[in-house]
Amino acid sequence: MSQIIINRVRTSRRALLKGLTAAGAKIVIGLPPLASMFNSTGTAYASTPGTAAANAATVEKPIETRFVLWFNGNGIPERYWIPTEEGSNYELTPCLAPLAAWRKDIHVLSGVDNAAASGKGNGHTNSMSGLMTGRDFTGRGPSGPSIDQIIAGKIGGDSRFRSLQIGVAQESFGESMQRNMSWAGYERALPPEMIPHRLFDRLFGAREEGWVNRKHSILDVVRADASTLEKALPGDDKARVDEHLSSIRDLERAIAGLPPEYARVDPPDFDGDMKDWPRIARLQSDLLVQALSMRQTRVASYMLTKCQSLTRFPWLGYTSARHHDYTHSPDKTAGADGSDGLHVLRDICRWHVEEFAYLVAKLESVPEGDSTLFDHTSLIFVHEHAEANPHKNSGLAMLVAGGSKKLAKGAHTRVTGTVADVYVTVADEVVGAGISKFPTATKKIGALLT
Amino acid sequence: MRRRMILLLLAGALWGQSGDFRATLFPIFEQANCRACHNTDGVASATRLHFPEADADADKIAAFGNSLVALVDRQNLEASLLLRKPTARMPHTGGERIKQNSPEEAELKGWIAKLAQLSGVELSTALKYRELDGDGGDVAQDALLRRLTHSQYNHTVRDLLGDQTGPTIQFPPEDFVNGFLNQSRGQSISPLLEEAYSNAAEKLAQAAFLGGDTHGLLSCNPSLECGKRFVREFGLKAFRRPLEPEEQQRYESLLAKEPDFLKGAQLVVEAMLQSPNFLFWINTTSDPKLKAWATASRLSFSVWDTMPDAELFAAAERGELATRAGVEKQVRRMLSDPRAKESLDEFVSQWLRFDRLTTASKDRRKFPYFTRETANAMITEARTFVSDLVWNDGDFMDLFRANYGYISPELARIYGVPAPARDFERVAFPANSERAGILGQGLFLALTAKPEDSSPTARGLFVREQFLCQHVPDPPPGVNTNLPPVTEAKPQTNRDRMSEHTTNASCATCHKLMDAVGFGLEKFDAIGARREQMVLEFRKKSYEDEDEDGKHPVPKRIITLPLNTNAYVAGIPNSEFSSPQQLGAVLANSPQCQECVVKQYFRFQAGRHETAADRPLIRFVTDDFRNSGFRFKELILSLVLFREFPQDKQRLDVANNHQSR
Repeated sequence: MSQIIINRVRTSRRALLKGLTAAGAKIVIGLPPLASMFNSTGTAYASTPGTAAANAATVEKPIETRFVLWFNGNGIPERYWIPTEEGSNYELTPCLAPLAAWRKDIHVLSGVDNAAASGKGNGHTNSMSGLMTGRDFTGRGPSGPSIDQIIAGKIGGDSRFRSLQIGVAQESFGESMQRNMSWAGYERALPPEMIPHRLFDRLFGAREEGWVNRKHSILDVVRADASTLEKALPGDDKARVDEHLSSIRDLERAIAGLPPEYARVDPPDFDGDMKDWPRIARLQSDLLVQALSMRQTRVASYMLTKCQSLTRFPWLGYTSARHHDYTHSPDKTAGADGSDGLHVLRDICRWHVEEFAYLVAKLESVPEGDSTLFDHTSLIFVHEHAEANPHKNSGLAMLVAGGSKKLAKGAHTRVTGTVADVYVTVADEVVGAGISKFPTATKKIGALLT
Repeated sequence: MRRRMILLLLAGALWGQSGDFRATLFPIFEQANCRACHNTDGVASATRLHFPEADADADKIAAFGNSLVALVDRQNLEASLLLRKPTARMPHTGGERIKQNSPEEAELKGWIAKLAQLSGVELSTALKYRELDGDGGDVAQDALLRRLTHSQYNHTVRDLLGDQTGPTIQFPPEDFVNGFLNQSRGQSISPLLEEAYSNAAEKLAQAAFLGGDTHGLLSCNPSLECGKRFVREFGLKAFRRPLEPEEQQRYESLLAKEPDFLKGAQLVVEAMLQSPNFLFWINTTSDPKLKAWATASRLSFSVWDTMPDAELFAAAERGELATRAGVEKQVRRMLSDPRAKESLDEFVSQWLRFDRLTTASKDRRKFPYFTRETANAMITEARTFVSDLVWNDGDFMDLFRANYGYISPELARIYGVPAPARDFERVAFPANSERAGILGQGLFLALTAKPEDSSPTARGLFVREQFLCQHVPDPPPGVNTNLPPVTEAKPQTNRDRMSEHTTNASCATCHKLMDAVGFGLEKFDAIGARREQMVLEFRKKSYEDEDEDGKHPVPKRIITLPLNTNAYVAGIPNSEFSSPQQLGAVLANSPQCQECVVKQYFRFQAGRHETAADRPLIRFVTDDFRNSGFRFKELILSLVLFREFPQDKQRLDVANNHQSR
């Protein structure tokens, strides 16, 4: 299995290079933080010598918190997933076992309601829309933006990428609502990058200076075309060209923000099975960690499997059906009482948690100031449903993880509240994104806070 | 008269009257989910109730409440359909949606009593609601711009630059919205897609000038004048309209940034391929200057799935696309060009959901010879079959009743017929096979099945949605969909198992709509092979324990059960059937199915779902389609012409008068 290796970097005052986009907006170029970037105790960025901030001496920029929303398709077998006991002495269930080493760093939640999807009929698309956006499914997509995009809107503005969408297992039905978890707005999907090599190329692809200049000239023209066109259009058409314009600006930022030391990250292994999802998941997680570490982005969504996922599991030895089939016919898999079928679901869900644990471990392995990248990251792990077979939209189980001192950890809590309550609590209190509202959120979850 | 008044008042007193529809009964109807079926696309569309939109104002909801007076029997309130149907006092496909003798029923009765009192202006206003909400009511919103679909992008760069690589394989995949990949509502340009466009443009522009002007994009020798000419000529093709002066200027300046002429031209190509003027084609416009060019794009992308050719551009420039004769001439020419086949292939592959077979998996212990090649052969068969019907001017409704298929050795094995001499030659189905048309082919039978067995529900749903254009509501929340397992002690067919255990009334009513169709196809298994009996295998251990190579097979016991395939399509009179062949005949003769073919093609061409405003058009095109003996080419022509000339009032009015139902 390939690993991404960052060569040790020579100490450089260019640690936090400032770049300029063609449009003139300042952005931060992503480079790995070096010890010299932090203050003497490693708790915040050092103020840059010679700046007004340095003269003020007291102003130190805190190390930013990143946000990752992790999604798994289909639901869970509750009995193998949700701990029986509450509080800190809960027994880790079979599905949660891969997180044993991090139980002090995670908060297990159960009893969370997908309020927007309740009572709407139990199609996967209703659940997915409610889960990601707190809003109704229109028949084509959700009627508003997803939580990661709300957060990105607040804290993503000075990164090379406002947010990243990452995907792993591709097998699914073909509908838009099933294949995307991030939504820019009404019915507007943000598809995940599912191919590690392409993600690598986006993040670390080698470029020459001539290329960058050339791209700028081209995008100047394209942007002018789009602005002219946008002005002449009404309604939904205007909105679509406006989106194009915004994507052009995002591309300009991405180009302007290319770090000069791009070649330092090795590309993912080109050989190997592109449908070996555990392998792809680890490659994607490696790249995500590098992107977060190098400040290329602060916000990411991670779609391990699709909504109503049809993933096959050869590495688990389950080959007679696909994930969604297993959730609806546990009796068919074997064993007259269906218990074997539930074991299949248990093992599948344990795999979800294993891959999440891999990401957590990877984040923890990257030093940052006096702590680690994990300490400056907040992660929410969510499943499409509670119990998988009846598409249960109430009593969902979630994980909240991260090293922040503001987050209460090491416990299982049965809460009364909505998925949006959890989002707002984490986004506002832990990430510090200044978000007080999200559809179906009515309160903060006190148990999540120290 | 006086007597009747008293009676009515009495009835009112007995029933109690309620006043505020919006506050009381409307939520009860919504809870009962009447609108899920009684809408234009619902399974009960024939008894549409004209529910107001989700965001309707109080007046509209009140007007809707009053309009229900049409279902009230003023002489005998107890006999009102509005009471008897939802409470299942008379047969109601949707079952008992409002419980008899419940508080909800009391509200319903109260409202019926109130409606019975409407008279005079109130009554006529109430009845008018349905007319106003009728066909042609609202204005259909066509997008002004449509983004190139991935297939349109590939075809366009092929025709524009000679590219044969199909660059969109590198793009984020397109997703289905409204049943198709090309719906304008789903067409955004995300940052990821923007990057893909940028990368593709770079590679395409580079390839276009590799080794000089090898693709003949320049019509002159490098010079300042030639640069201007190149921007003008290439720009016209790329943007599918003449450039505005400031655009011409903009791209000329870009060209001049490179000292090397060809490099400058390459820069222009790369930029144009990322411009919204290339990525979006003009669907409709109010700008008279652009009208002819927009028509050329619309015709070309609809009929060919690619950019206009020189002749179409020339026709636009000559003003020939402003007349019906001019457009008809072009469309007929285009229909005889191979590019029309590409467009139809796109439609068919999305309508018939080839993707679901590509992603299907079959239990390989039960179906060892179902492989990727088998799935591909099924897709090729369907593609060949439909293509033949369309381009050889067959009766398109034979889609459901043709007694032949196009077979490869893989399919011959599944169908139990000898393999033809050449792959995908037409082969007649044996008379006793009961196969006919698409319903008897592997594609439909396999893509609507589960990995290990057929799914009567999925098959019925596919027939409802794809072939009858009906929307079946989602299952209610929180229902355990597990049927008790089939055991050695209690072996059952799918039919027995599903009928016996669908006892939940709200499940049963909808399931009947689907399952009662699927039961008729049960003699065809999960890969479309014929079975006379249901074969159940019981093993001591799980499949998963069995050796992959089958060297140590787990002992199994086999039980066979007879199959009852008597079935019907609820909502279609006299639709009893017991095989794909008989269902095919039901569908082929069903006006609803015939109209659905038109609706599906409309959705694909218009890039959106039809609205009430489109109903006359769809009915009109369906008439043309029917009158032509269901020639699909005539359907294409009729739809294109009608969309081009909606002002063709005379024909529209004919369609309108014809409708009144």
